[in-house]
Amino acid sequence: MRSAEMTAAPAEAKQVSFSFLYPSRSAVVGTLAVLLFLVLWQVAPSMGWVNGRFTSRPTEVFLAAIDIFRNDNFLYHARISLTEFVAGFALAIVVSIPLGVLLGTSKIARYLIDPPLMALYIAPTLVLLPILVIWLGIDMAPKIAVVFLGAVFPIVLNTMAGMSEADPKLLRMARSFGASKFDIFSRVLVPGSLPALLTGIRLAVGRAVLGVVVGELFVSQAGIGYQLNLYGQAMRIDRLLVYALVVSAFGYTLTILVRSVENKVRDWRSK
Amino acid sequence: MAQIEIRDLGIDYRKPKSDEVFSAVDGVALSVEKGEFVTIVGSSGCGKSTLLMAVAGLVALSRGSIRIDGKDVTGPGPDRAVVFQEASLLPWRSVRGNVKFGLEMQRWSGGNLDEQAMQMIRLVGLGRFSDYQPHQLSGGMRQRVNIARALAVDPEVLLMDEPFGALDAQTREIMGTELLRIWERDKKTALFVTHDIDEAIFLADKIVVMGRNPGHIKEVIKVDLPRPRDEEVLDSEDFHNLRKRLRAHLAEDMSSMQLVQEVA
Ligand SMILES: Nc1ncnc2c1ncn2[C@@H]1O[C@H](COP(=O)(O)OP(=O)(O)O)[C@@H](O)[C@H]1O
Ligand SMILES: [Mg+2]
Repeated sequence: MRSAEMTAAPAEAKQVSFSFLYPSRSAVVGTLAVLLFLVLWQVAPSMGWVNGRFTSRPTEVFLAAIDIFRNDNFLYHARISLTEFVAGFALAIVVSIPLGVLLGTSKIARYLIDPPLMALYIAPTLVLLPILVIWLGIDMAPKIAVVFLGAVFPIVLNTMAGMSEADPKLLRMARSFGASKFDIFSRVLVPGSLPALLTGIRLAVGRAVLGVVVGELFVSQAGIGYQLNLYGQAMRIDRLLVYALVVSAFGYTLTILVRSVENKVRDWRSK
Repeated sequence: MAQIEIRDLGIDYRKPKSDEVFSAVDGVALSVEKGEFVTIVGSSGCGKSTLLMAVAGLVALSRGSIRIDGKDVTGPGPDRAVVFQEASLLPWRSVRGNVKFGLEMQRWSGGNLDEQAMQMIRLVGLGRFSDYQPHQLSGGMRQRVNIARALAVDPEVLLMDEPFGALDAQTREIMGTELLRIWERDKKTALFVTHDIDEAIFLADKIVVMGRNPGHIKEVIKVDLPRPRDEEVLDSEDFHNLRKRLRAHLAEDMSSMQLVQEVA
């Protein structure tokens, strides 16, 4: 008889990766493309290709950034926007996860709430802004509401999908060992739907960031969107770009962060 | 009295989107003695899995009864454990975590869960891989985990549904030998579904041959090949004779299937 250890094919162990020392071709090409763009942008107004008043220049934007971070009450505005974002997002998470779980585990609940939920998800919640302002005033509240509305649906829908699309083979396996309903929920459905939940959160980030900014653009007394509006009216392209970059960097970083957690959790699915 | 008593068993499935029912298994009677290794063969779709899942308590009976140690089967129970066709491992749990799963579900109180799990993992030859995740394992290794998980809860009856069906011929043969080695230790009652004739003979004390439309038992064949067995038994004359007999059965099934297709 052959020995068991020999017959078991050795799986590959994870190796430590030093790949970051050797930038990939795509990274090199990407960096070059960005550099080329910056150079073109810098020289284009001087060459008379574009009107510098409308395009600004990388150097001007850079100087504007320094000025903004020093003298523009930047932290004050950032804190307002961040507060709206965090409050709305936290509220969305608190509401959406239980709702998603309910919808994912109860067919009746799903039949009942799924269609209006879908409609709300697809409809741009930003169109509700004027109403929200009438209801909630021009302070932080309507922006928090917009963030909430933007973030809540992707999380609900993805949590729901993660729960209801659980592998029936795993459910049957669990039942065969006498798993209770609660066991199946906590040991199979919840861990199984974690990647989908994180996907929902990642999609929600983008919508929530958009909600804050557009909310503030629409009507506000402070915040990043307020500043954007201010410099837009003053035609200060350089400053506008600085704020726009701040917003993108924030959304981008958060998205990357969630995605890295997501990939870790999803690790087992790939390969 | 036999350990498993199946009487007059019938299982109907409702056809999707209609009220029509379709009989997957009908008029099945079978008894299995304690410690017997019974294989169930038949062409695909003849109701083998349905029969096995009914014994597991995972499929509702439409007619008849299944008794284990005199008790009616009404659902899953700690006296039985299933090794599924697909490994059905929780992808977020390690090998050890998966083997512990059944123990956790049954609120096992026979000692340290980790120790019990590790013992089974070593038994199936995966000692060095206990911290691996399922996606890092080959198909054969996953089925070893699947088997270890079932053995860990120390069931009276082991139910296996084509556990090696998806493996290549070579691995399959190795796994068969391995399974017998493990089974020899405490000779648990085993029901093993397969559509592979050699596998059915190699493992069995008794072969149940099933036919289709609806799934029924055509013949029960005793296998008297000496134990413990290894691959050499495959070349014996008794083995050849059994193989011939089973082939004839399955060929008959195939031709009746073609007939049905031609009529349809
Ligand atoms: N859950 C189900 N619902 C309806 N029909 C089913 C279901 N499971 C199996 N069947 C049907 O019952 C018959 C027997 O299936 P199965 O027991 O899986 O056969 P086998 O395991 O021998 O291949 C097949 O015709 C199959 O299509
Ligand atoms: Mg089957």
